[in-house]
Amino acid sequence: MAFNILVTDDSETMRAVIKKTVSMSGVPVGEFHEAANGKEALAVLAETWIDVILSDINMPEMGGMELLKKVSEDEDLRKIPLIFITTEASDARQEEARKLGVAGYVKKPFQPEAIKAILYEVLEKAYAHRLEEKPDEEAGEESDF
Amino acid sequence: MDEDLRRVIFATFSEVFETMFFTFLEPLEEAPGKEELACGKFIEATIGYSGGCNGRFIFCFPWELGKNITVNFLGVDEDEASDSQIIDTAAETANMAIGSLLGKLDPGGTASLAIPQARLLAEFSPETLLGVSGLCMFNTEFGILWVVGTHA
Repeated sequence: MAFNILVTDDSETMRAVIKKTVSMSGVPVGEFHEAANGKEALAVLAETWIDVILSDINMPEMGGMELLKKVSEDEDLRKIPLIFITTEASDARQEEARKLGVAGYVKKPFQPEAIKAILYEVLEKAYAHRLEEKPDEEAGEESDF
Repeated sequence: MDEDLRRVIFATFSEVFETMFFTFLEPLEEAPGKEELACGKFIEATIGYSGGCNGRFIFCFPWELGKNITVNFLGVDEDEASDSQIIDTAAETANMAIGSLLGKLDPGGTASLAIPQARLLAEFSPETLLGVSGLCMFNTEFGILWVVGTHA
């Protein structure tokens, strides 16, 4: 029932804020995993079961757009929804991401509600059957927003 | 820097600071008093963009402002914010502010944002910035945010 979430951002504080925001959203979280760039994210994806990826675009070594491309090219990984949380929200960049199969787009600066809304929307689309299951006692369902 | 660009910068930075850090900015038109110009601990965050348009912005945060926005950002107590988190938050602030600004100045997405860099300036006097072309000053509860930028 709970979802494993990979948070990819080169800012350690932004990763912490996103994790906190997701935790408070009421989405049942199994484990959080973190990566500081696309390369690290791919290493996590090779080793760990991940249900959804939240990623920045502007990162050193491998940015979010290249990560999305790699994920979409991989037969197993392409099933994992990827949501961009980024300052790079020009129409052209969003269109490029859509073509590559991005599941959602949140523009920084963001309100916590924006992440909650897109996360539920994406999870419902990808894992409707799992969201309908009753939550564990440990996974609080109440939202703190 | 023309007035239209200054207005866009103020609106954009205000949105970032209010939404992410619950901090309000007030633009300063005139040079501040001596107290605000004294040497002290600052954080310098730099970010640029290039492509269809080019620009570079330098943010100078008084340490207390950097600490305050980090505390608000992370939702932690004052003594829980580490120096590295404060410096990282300054870099992320530059990223969010200039990324948002670029979205307005270059809606076609022809320019690419660089990776922000931030460092501690142990003894810095913002007086050295007075008179520099492209200087914007914003008053906050925790000191003046100094920003020097170019856009072409």
